[in-house]
Amino acid sequence: MIRLGWLWPRGDGRLMVLYALLVIYSLALLWSVTEPLTGAYSEMRVDVPKSVFWRQLTWIIISWVAIGVVSRVPLRYLENVSWPAYLVVVLMLAAVLAVGPEVAGSRRWLAFGALRLQPSEFSKVALVVLLATWLGRRVEGGSRVGATMGSMVLALVPAILVLREPDLGTSLVFLAIWLGMIFWYGISGLLLLTALSSSVSAVIMFYSESILEQPWPWAVYLLALMAVLYLVRGGLLASGLVLGANIAAGLGIPLVWTRLQPYQQDRILTFFDPSRDEHGTAYQAIQSKVAIGSGGLFGTHYLQGTQKGLAFLPERHSDFVFSVAGEELGLLGAGAMLVLFLLLVMRAIRVAMEVRSPFASLLAIGVASYFTFHVVVNVSITTGLLPVTGLPLPLISYGGSSLLASSLMVGLLMNLSVHRYDD
Amino acid sequence: MEFREAQVVRGRLFRLLALLLFGILLTNLLVLTVAQHDYYRNRALKNRQVQFRVPAPRGRITDRDGVPLADNTFNSDITVSASQFADGQPDSALSWLLRWFDLPPEETLADLEAQVARHGGRGRAVLVRGADMRQLTTVEERRSRLPGVRVESRWRRRYLHGSLLTHVIGYTGEVGPDDLRDAAPGMDYRVGDYIGKQGVEEAFEEQLRGGTGIKLEEVNATGRIVGRESVWIRAVRPGRDVALTLSLPLQMAMDSLMAGRRGCGVALAVPSGEVLAAVSLPSFDANIMTGAISTDQWRELSEDPAKPFFNRLVQATYPPGSLYKAVTSLAGLARGVVDTGSVLEPCPGGYQFGNRWFRCWKAAGHGVLDHAGALANSCDVFYYQLGLRLELADLAEAAAVFGLGQRLTGIYPGEAAGNVPTDDWYNRRMGVGGWTRGVLLNNAIGQGEILVTPLQMVFLSARLAADGRVPGPTFVQGQQPAVPTVNLPYRPSHMAWIRSALRQVVDAGTGGAARLAGVAVAGKTGTAQNPHGDDHAWFMCYAPAEAPEVAVAVILENAGHGGSEAAPVAGAWLREYFDWRHGIRPGIGGDS
Repeated sequence: MIRLGWLWPRGDGRLMVLYALLVIYSLALLWSVTEPLTGAYSEMRVDVPKSVFWRQLTWIIISWVAIGVVSRVPLRYLENVSWPAYLVVVLMLAAVLAVGPEVAGSRRWLAFGALRLQPSEFSKVALVVLLATWLGRRVEGGSRVGATMGSMVLALVPAILVLREPDLGTSLVFLAIWLGMIFWYGISGLLLLTALSSSVSAVIMFYSESILEQPWPWAVYLLALMAVLYLVRGGLLASGLVLGANIAAGLGIPLVWTRLQPYQQDRILTFFDPSRDEHGTAYQAIQSKVAIGSGGLFGTHYLQGTQKGLAFLPERHSDFVFSVAGEELGLLGAGAMLVLFLLLVMRAIRVAMEVRSPFASLLAIGVASYFTFHVVVNVSITTGLLPVTGLPLPLISYGGSSLLASSLMVGLLMNLSVHRYDD
Repeated sequence: MEFREAQVVRGRLFRLLALLLFGILLTNLLVLTVAQHDYYRNRALKNRQVQFRVPAPRGRITDRDGVPLADNTFNSDITVSASQFADGQPDSALSWLLRWFDLPPEETLADLEAQVARHGGRGRAVLVRGADMRQLTTVEERRSRLPGVRVESRWRRRYLHGSLLTHVIGYTGEVGPDDLRDAAPGMDYRVGDYIGKQGVEEAFEEQLRGGTGIKLEEVNATGRIVGRESVWIRAVRPGRDVALTLSLPLQMAMDSLMAGRRGCGVALAVPSGEVLAAVSLPSFDANIMTGAISTDQWRELSEDPAKPFFNRLVQATYPPGSLYKAVTSLAGLARGVVDTGSVLEPCPGGYQFGNRWFRCWKAAGHGVLDHAGALANSCDVFYYQLGLRLELADLAEAAAVFGLGQRLTGIYPGEAAGNVPTDDWYNRRMGVGGWTRGVLLNNAIGQGEILVTPLQMVFLSARLAADGRVPGPTFVQGQQPAVPTVNLPYRPSHMAWIRSALRQVVDAGTGGAARLAGVAVAGKTGTAQNPHGDDHAWFMCYAPAEAPEVAVAVILENAGHGGSEAAPVAGAWLREYFDWRHGIRPGIGGDS
């Protein structure tokens, strides 16, 4: 008798239900998106073929099996393979830059015949596992600052490689994962203040220089920061560190800006001033908002969206799939999806709080960070809260690598939920 | 703090953060889908619903028997956007088309630029007008690789007889800035629309144009119609046909009789005043005006010394020459300064007035002639003497009765009124005392400052034929004449006399070349002196003399004598007329 029990993932049943609901939701949306468009489109290849749906279904089956496997792997074994896995994905990322086929000005894939893999997706999983291993072993004793700095280097390596592809959105994912895990590891208040205030400084400087073209908002911000530092009596060394970091971030941002690709600069400028470019990058954002807004409470009904059906909505099977949910299923449908994601994240946080081993706890919070960042940023882009940057909606957007990586994350979580009381 | 304990605090913080972030997302979603729903629903609607203007097919223009003279064809043009040839540089799609269609690049680009120059260098220009099947499939098959290139279909005017009727019908062209500004309310012209320019096309624009329809179509993201929700906001109202009073065979007859010559031949039905034929030569093919006329073509036509754009029918003014003697005679009879049988001083070939010798056209002189003989032989000396017995006011009064000095059609904006000089006119022109009664001699024989259009001369002929009961000439059936009929202020005996005298002109005088066998023709020859070159040959007539039904006037520029040049044209045309009207072909030059 053949035993098929191993195909069923081991672990938290509720997590499995959430996962199943999300991938079924994804299939429903992709079916709608791949329905033939209304009217003739002979002058543009805008149709999304049905094969997209079938491919995604195939990837879901593969991912199911992968979850089944990952949910059973002993945690110690995961710790042991964390370094080799990390090194493999870093090599793959380097290979992408060297030999990856160029598509629309960027190299993001490795092609094996008909199979195209996006190593940046798997490197997110590898990073979560490695950071959990690295930080987990440094919870007791040793230099916390050294551990923090080391983990930052580990996150920066793939982030920089991915930024070179170039893929700004994905490279930010590595930083978000690192931030979430380092917070969990226990970062000092001073470092947190330094990091957060530096980011604010960078954004204000950018806004002053590139949008207003006047330096005074940044100057006002610096004065206010100095006043706060004086009032809290943070000590000369700490105050100097915070102020120095802020000035460095402020002065550094123009340097970063000039290093950005023109299309990235365009998207950011357009975000601050959409009238700049009604038909370029702002077009996607506007059409996405139109799709969601016109959906209303209950949507235009499944398969009936005109923004989708008449091809006004770009990237409707990948990065902007959320807009299709908004248009056809309304606030109810799109809101339900957000609630599913929120429950998934809450589940991950709960696991992180319950498991005993630091490695498992950090792993769970890495997964939570991953989903939170992806969902929040992707949905913010589709609803016009953030500038357009390519970032898929995990488990929902079309794309095998992204689905498999997200599924592996869920698989890890399932695994941890079983080992709650292991040390 | 132990890691395990800190986990709980951080976990709560993390949960708080996640709830906060997802809360923002949900709130924003709520704003989009509920608070701003109406706005975005309208945007989505506007995205996919586009108003299309559907031009109406222009009414046809037919001759009096319903034979079409101008109709429409439904054409497909291949158009390109102005941005595709900015700064004279064709983009890749346009360059490819230029090569593929084998178009001369320099000229074509200049033509495209000229097209958009009228609209401030923006909009679209027609690359191939009335594209054929091969060209259309070429473009359709390569749509994806030819961004900016479009196939646009629209009605285009077609003139079935080329240059034959251009000066009567006029032509259509794209609306210009002036047309857009001056358009009557409700006509709703847009750049790219066609509008009647000149002639009947212009005068009857409102009737011919019909009403542009407006249709709401659903389009997809590439702007193509997907054809799901087509709603007519306003139905297309096709233009109404216009029937001319002209007869195509009679027009063709006049045109071929005048082939190769410069001048004008026009015929009126008596007493209706309907224009049966109206030819102004040289002419030009009206079809070239509906397309984008090339600069070369335009220059060639506008710089042609024969002036093909000039509508001689109503725009050209000439001295009437001896045709005017009929008017002078009637003025003399009405004033009582001569009688129908008067015999004045004999003609020795000229007349001495003051220190100037006024010559008769016949240098040998006519000798003794009575009034009728003087008209028949067009003796200038007789009319010099008659003129001296009259005042300019007498001549002007008679001229006005026959419509001279006024515009007759009411539909040709460029129509000339001509000039009938009076004392006031000479006083204004030359100063009080700056002229002598010598001008009367010239005016009496229709020379000098008096100017008439060919249409006025045929009208004169028609009113002589029908005692003035002919309204202003009409070109379109049902058209209200611009000039009402009049009762001539002349005694019936005087009218009878002048009609017999005019018959004498053809039967035994200078107009013999217009004589027909079996049909009596009455007419008058004229030779208008032309300071710039050879004399213009005039002839006016009506027939049958005893019961007139048609009047004709012919002028041939620089052709010489009216009797030898213009009269044969009128006579030959009358033959065609009687064949057309009564099925008889009178012989030329037979006994009357």
